[in-house]
Amino acid sequence: MRNLAPVKPPRSTKLGAMTVAQLVSGGIVVDHVRRSFGSVHAVRDASFTAMPGTVTGLIGPNGSGKTTLMLMLASLLQPEGGSIRIAGFDPMDATAEVRSRMGWMPDVLGSWANLSVRSTLEYTARMYGMDLPAASARAGELVSIVDLAELASSPTRVLSRGQKQRLSLARALVHNPEVLLLDEPASGLDPGARTHLRVLVRRLAAEGKTILVSSHVLAELDEMADGVVYIDGGVTASADVVARSRASARPWRIRSSNIEALRASLISVGITDAEITTDRKDLLVPLSGEDAAATLLVSLIRSGVVISAFAPAVGDLEHTFLDLSSSGDLT
Amino acid sequence: MSAFFTGVWVILTLELRQRVRTVSWYVLIGVFIGLIAIVTIVLSVALRGFEVDNSGGAGVYSTIIYFVLLLGTLVAPALSGNAINGDRDAGTLATTQVTLITTWELIIGKFLAAWVTALAFLAAAVPFLIYASIVGRLGGGAIAVSLLILAVELGVVAAIGVGLSGLVSRPLFSVVLSYLAVAALSIGTLIAFTLGGLAVQSEVTNTSSYGVSYNDSGEAISCSPRQTTRYPTPRFDLFWGVLAANPYVVLADAVPSTYDSNGYPTDLFGQVKFGIRSAQITPETEVEYDECADGPPESSPTAREVIDTTTPGWFVGLVIHLLLAAGALTGAWARTRTPASRLSRGSRIA
Repeated sequence: MRNLAPVKPPRSTKLGAMTVAQLVSGGIVVDHVRRSFGSVHAVRDASFTAMPGTVTGLIGPNGSGKTTLMLMLASLLQPEGGSIRIAGFDPMDATAEVRSRMGWMPDVLGSWANLSVRSTLEYTARMYGMDLPAASARAGELVSIVDLAELASSPTRVLSRGQKQRLSLARALVHNPEVLLLDEPASGLDPGARTHLRVLVRRLAAEGKTILVSSHVLAELDEMADGVVYIDGGVTASADVVARSRASARPWRIRSSNIEALRASLISVGITDAEITTDRKDLLVPLSGEDAAATLLVSLIRSGVVISAFAPAVGDLEHTFLDLSSSGDLT
Repeated sequence: MSAFFTGVWVILTLELRQRVRTVSWYVLIGVFIGLIAIVTIVLSVALRGFEVDNSGGAGVYSTIIYFVLLLGTLVAPALSGNAINGDRDAGTLATTQVTLITTWELIIGKFLAAWVTALAFLAAAVPFLIYASIVGRLGGGAIAVSLLILAVELGVVAAIGVGLSGLVSRPLFSVVLSYLAVAALSIGTLIAFTLGGLAVQSEVTNTSSYGVSYNDSGEAISCSPRQTTRYPTPRFDLFWGVLAANPYVVLADAVPSTYDSNGYPTDLFGQVKFGIRSAQITPETEVEYDECADGPPESSPTAREVIDTTTPGWFVGLVIHLLLAAGALTGAWARTRTPASRLSRGSRIA
């Protein structure tokens, strides 16, 4: 296991009057934040909380306001209303405090093309106020944490997309931040690197960091995230709506060597023929919740049908996401 | 405060490593040295024929300084004109801005990097300048002032380039605008001066009578009837202030002149200075001359007399340039600082 050495927060940080919100929670607290660009309301009403030690997914279709929200959290964009707390600080009033505690991995993969991987990390560390020896030590640690040790001396312009992705993650980790904002960290990674990323993210969360991950790869988040924030049309879904969507009927995939016997059995336990859809060699049946699925499986096996597969046709997140997107009303 | 300088230093060194220290840049410096060498040799040979008081070297020196200013102002916008928006396009601006680097550290660092780059061209010309100053036996004052003004002018161009790259979102557009700004100062002021002077003309009434016959000592004893002629004359004296903003004029006007035995400047700076100072003199609109009464025509004042009796304007031009540079950098700061409140249409912050 590689060691993520803690780095002291660089430069002196002045603590202003601490509010109650700062005392009770680190992590990320977003409360009714909105932001528009001219007539385009990119984020209309976003509220959520991400606690230290957890990984929170941020899910939404393209153009839903994910990146705008991320930019506001990353202290790059002013919200027009509402409030944001990153590790207890407001990015507007206490920008330096937030920046010394927050790491941001953007969805755009930019790098200083002529600099080596190691120099890139050294320069980033120095931008956080570390002196030269500390910066170069930290760069040495990070190249091995993100598996770029062999490429440490290569200029970043020769890196592949996935390697740049890992460099970008290393850059976000340079100052050992309390809060990590990862915008599409898994895109462009091969399966091995994804697993590596997942393990790394889980480990960082176990160290007590607050991690917000936006992604399109829902299955990926399913395995990684403790909680999920859904955003569509600039509005985050409330907990009630998410719970309702999770409970709504979703298709389950049932596979049998004798598909007609399976169909007959399904009809005999009360599922109408119209509800059953055929997908290649499988049948898809809408079921609401795990309990209904368990009951159905028991009755099918009792009826003597041979079953080789019985599972949800879509992942938890994908199901909720699709259900929310189609209902179009998140509040 | 030391944190500020550390931040500026990080950005400056990063900028020099990332943006400047490339093969193409070394090629550019090589081409530049080649050009300076050719100019020095050709001028040294050509000016030998005109040499008065062994002043050829001064002419070579001032020409090389002008050449460095010309090439410097041609190269600096290309190197600085996309310093900020180029980074935004490459996706490296926002990742710098989320660190503890402040917007001023970023902008000052980038400005200094652009300036240092332009000064490298001056440094490359130093051997030739040393040669010319020895041959021309230049005074220390002239060398110090010309180098100082040249360095400041290159800094002004670098600041305008960096400033525009922060104000304008598209790199190509900001580079072109930087060139236009340089052209407006170098050529635009000259055009405005010429057109202004020609557009506003005053009518001169000239009443003269010239000698017809002379006595033995050369004094006119009988003169022609008084003849009155009227003709327009351009009023450059109203527009010489425009030329004060020209970097070439600022340079020429600031450097202390040396003169030959006829009171004529020995170098290019002095000749330009003579030209701009002559333009200050208001033309007389009523000219009366009677050779029988006034004696023979006075010889016109020498360049030295003109320069000594007119107003130096270089510091006005320099102040204008410094204000432009400061304004461009401040504008870039206002547009680049984060958390950003306003974004220009269609631009992404990251």
